[in-house]
Amino acid sequence: MKASGETILPFPCSSRSGGRGALRKDLLRSLRASASPVIVDFSHCGILNQDDVDLLLECVAQVAGRDTQVLFVAGSRVNRVLLEVTRISSLVPVFNSVEEALAYPQTAIASNAEDLRPSQSQNQSQNSGARK
Amino acid sequence: MELGAVVVVPARDEAQTLGLAARESQRSRYSSRVPILGNDVLHSWMDLVRKLGVGSLWLTSCSSDEGLPCSELAGLARQGLDRLLVIKLKSYAEMDLADLVRFHCESRNPVTEAQDARGHLGVWLLDHLALHAAGERYKVSCTSPGSGRLPYQFRGYAKRILSARERQELVGDALTKACAMRPVGTEIRKQVWVGEGVKLAASVRVIGPTYIGDRAVVRAGATIGPFASVEHDCVVDCGTTVERATVLPDTYLAPGLLIRHQLVDGGYLEDLRWGAVADLHPAALGSRIQGSESRRRPFRETDVFSEADSASALDFARSSTASRSWLQVKL
Repeated sequence: MKASGETILPFPCSSRSGGRGALRKDLLRSLRASASPVIVDFSHCGILNQDDVDLLLECVAQVAGRDTQVLFVAGSRVNRVLLEVTRISSLVPVFNSVEEALAYPQTAIASNAEDLRPSQSQNQSQNSGARK
Repeated sequence: MELGAVVVVPARDEAQTLGLAARESQRSRYSSRVPILGNDVLHSWMDLVRKLGVGSLWLTSCSSDEGLPCSELAGLARQGLDRLLVIKLKSYAEMDLADLVRFHCESRNPVTEAQDARGHLGVWLLDHLALHAAGERYKVSCTSPGSGRLPYQFRGYAKRILSARERQELVGDALTKACAMRPVGTEIRKQVWVGEGVKLAASVRVIGPTYIGDRAVVRAGATIGPFASVEHDCVVDCGTTVERATVLPDTYLAPGLLIRHQLVDGGYLEDLRWGAVADLHPAALGSRIQGSESRRRPFRETDVFSEADSASALDFARSSTASRSWLQVKL
């Protein structure tokens, strides 16, 4: 599924046994191929288990060292806590809903622009100072 | 006048207090009987009672929302006690009980209840009049709020132990010496306490203030602290960080975790900021260490339960109308 440049992928949580292997391959392939931000949505999952955590780490590994950004939608606080405990949330931004995740790149771009402004003005003042 | 003392332990903690095998499901995370930096809150109250000159006390139980067992308390009064100090074990308080007794005598109330700015502390002093009245009016609470009763206002250090957050606050206060409780162990460097038989790998970082309890094992690359409490017989595996958090006894933590602002008890994790509770078992992140019950040092009060005490406790329990357990402890 695509939404304004981002790819939204459902996470094949292990609590749903049907066709998990195929979904898992699709997920990892999409992560490898995608150049746009990828939102991995596991808000429909219950509590993450060991296989789920392993697969999330594989997702992180797939985009490591590339420009592709991956975002996780955890859904529940319990899953957010588990992502924090496993330190996954320090590697990947985690959101409560797909809507929040979709808003994130724009927020990031906006904040990057905000960050740039003072540095540009600082550069200008430094330059003018240098001229003096 | 003869003074007696009764400590009422929340029913969920009863099995542990009375030396019975506690199943995982029965175990309470906020139990006042689970050690705090190696300390037993029951013992801290027993020490205060001992300082009052009381030679023995009774231990019994009731559920947290239940009133005090008034009819049984009246039974104690019939055994010749003139005054009874009743402590419901729900808080840690550094109370001068002699001052409470003095206040009770001066105010001449049949019942005096100790309070602080947050309300009831679960400590009452009952006169024989109140005890006899309670015995006659069987189901009427002997400590129900009465008109004109002047409560004893306690202004010292007190902390309820009814939630994981309150427990962590007490840990922080004890580690920074903001209260009189001290970690049970050796202070190996400033604000770092370590219990007996602790195994720390060479690469472990310990950041004070921190406590690591007896026989805990902390493996390579782990970080403990600041404001961490790892209670006895825990294993913290490689690279895991425990910060501003409590790990309750006999807990295994998997490698590479970040335990921050949380309480962990076996496979149970509670986040102190969000209040979310997570099960660590499915993701194999934490678990109860099996077989450690045998290694667990029993609470010290069980050492002072003599057979004679148990026999008299049983006699008393038989003579009382309720089926709850009573144990007499020599101080």
